[in-house]
Amino acid sequence: MIEMLETSLFALLTLGVLTGGLMILLARRPATHAMGFFIVLLCVAGLFALLHQSFLFFAQVLVSVGGVVIVTLIMILTVNLRETDLPPEPHKTRWLIGAAVVIAPLSLLLYRTLTTLGDAFPPVSDAFGGTRSLGTLLFHDGVLPLEILSVLLLTAMVGAIIIGKKEQSYDRES
Amino acid sequence: MTTAQILVTLGSIVLAALLALLMIPVLVWLERRVCGLIQDRPGPNRTNVFGFRLGGVVQSFADVVKLVTKEEYIPGHIRYGRWIFLLAPMITFASALLAFMVIPFADTVQVDGAALRIQGLPVSYGILWYLAIGSVGILGMVFGGWLSHNKYSLLGALRAAAQMISYELALGLGVISMILTYDTIDFNAMVQWQSGTFWGIIPAWGLFIQPFAAVIITVALFVETNRAPFSVAEGESEIVAGFFTEYTAMKFAMYFMGEYVAMNTAGAVIVTMFLGGYQLPWIGTGTLLEHFRPVAGVLLLLVPAVMALFILWMRRNNRVRPTLSTDGGRGRETRILTGVLIGTTLLIEAVLLWLLLEPAGSIGASVAVPLLQIVIFVVKLMLVNLFFILIRWTLPRFRYDQVQVLGWRYLLPAALANLFVTSILVAGVGS
Repeated sequence: MIEMLETSLFALLTLGVLTGGLMILLARRPATHAMGFFIVLLCVAGLFALLHQSFLFFAQVLVSVGGVVIVTLIMILTVNLRETDLPPEPHKTRWLIGAAVVIAPLSLLLYRTLTTLGDAFPPVSDAFGGTRSLGTLLFHDGVLPLEILSVLLLTAMVGAIIIGKKEQSYDRES
Repeated sequence: MTTAQILVTLGSIVLAALLALLMIPVLVWLERRVCGLIQDRPGPNRTNVFGFRLGGVVQSFADVVKLVTKEEYIPGHIRYGRWIFLLAPMITFASALLAFMVIPFADTVQVDGAALRIQGLPVSYGILWYLAIGSVGILGMVFGGWLSHNKYSLLGALRAAAQMISYELALGLGVISMILTYDTIDFNAMVQWQSGTFWGIIPAWGLFIQPFAAVIITVALFVETNRAPFSVAEGESEIVAGFFTEYTAMKFAMYFMGEYVAMNTAGAVIVTMFLGGYQLPWIGTGTLLEHFRPVAGVLLLLVPAVMALFILWMRRNNRVRPTLSTDGGRGRETRILTGVLIGTTLLIEAVLLWLLLEPAGSIGASVAVPLLQIVIFVVKLMLVNLFFILIRWTLPRFRYDQVQVLGWRYLLPAALANLFVTSILVAGVGS
């Protein structure tokens, strides 16, 4: 009973991920893209919840759904991009077919990886992925790498702001 | 699971849904009456069903009937993305409703050897759930404003999104300082932590331990609910009605109800984190369970007194001016309500008497204590909601740039400083 429920939920969420992905690829309007993005991220969060990964679920909903989608929306809405602004793409169909032919053998590799990857990892304990165990791992066992990483991210952020910020006329006057 | 466990679980789910949904008409009524009082006028008090006005609550139900039967109008200029346009209000409403589901209304109940939580969703990571699900609601506003294809709607949606992102930082930092203080992310454990006292006098409520965090989180929650003085997203003096300009009938009502549910949820979070949740000050759940008899005795005297005061107040106020010849059924309503109230009081008295006289160690107290705690929680929640409403009708709306300056220049540094001081204190006390 419970197993069947889990399977059907998994099928539903996977369907959601696929639908959202197709919406991002195929839709013509940016609003539909954004909706597809939202659906994909929400369904991935649902998949985490199905695996009893409470922290990953919250991180996904809080950061990706609540944060990244909003920032993406603000970006789409403020950057008024027109079709004429995009670079020209001559022979688009030919490029697509050629790329598909080149990539086709690699899909065998992907298939092999996906079918054998599950056995390569040891089964996890019940506490795996919980907030407490993750906190212990990050802030007790691996605190030095984490701090180094956070300083690195801060530096990258400051750099991005400095590079991205154009010098305005009122900056020069004052 | 045994039958009793299933009953308790179902009961808490139903209670959570009812507390969230039935609160909407009451809050709408309260808002309009309080607004009326502040502006020196009575507010809605005419609508009645067979002469029953209930002080004007019936007006809210009339509004619901009006909104349901109103014409659903989709503006002709919305050519694509109609389904997203229709879906957007539902996202906002659903996320506001879901976020309410982790609030504990009473302490855990021992039923047949299992500790059951009195929450809609019996999970132990309440504050994370609230932050995560609560942040999804803004998506409904942004999608709605964008797909309205209206510049005012778009401006309102962008304002809502930008304001939310700015204040979520301060809210997150404030919440982290509270998590450090309580050493838990579980709402119920937070409430249990607040059951003690300082020096035997001051109740150990979050408000008294962390007054700065209380102010920061309350301000940030006001922004999260998009209510005045932070209602720039709908600022009708500048951008018509903001993100819901193009919405009509039930779709508009969805946003409207979403706002009230969000306010109710924010109030419940404030009650749970800072005002001791469902606890009486000075009396914890354990004490209440052990010594329920004196409490029942006090209630036995208190309930009739409160009811008598309420009946007197109702008899004095539920009437028209003496110059009018007809009272529109107000006299009859007062008589019937007086009878109902006296009957309810007698029933409560009988139950309390039975609790007083029953032998110790029976099931009575363990059922009565959660009910008492639910009542305490609802009373506190209504007081905080009243505070929200009073603030809305007292303070003028901030200008948009003032909102951003307040968020980034004052609230964020204050939250950071509060977090530093809290961490140092917690580390100092803990070591």
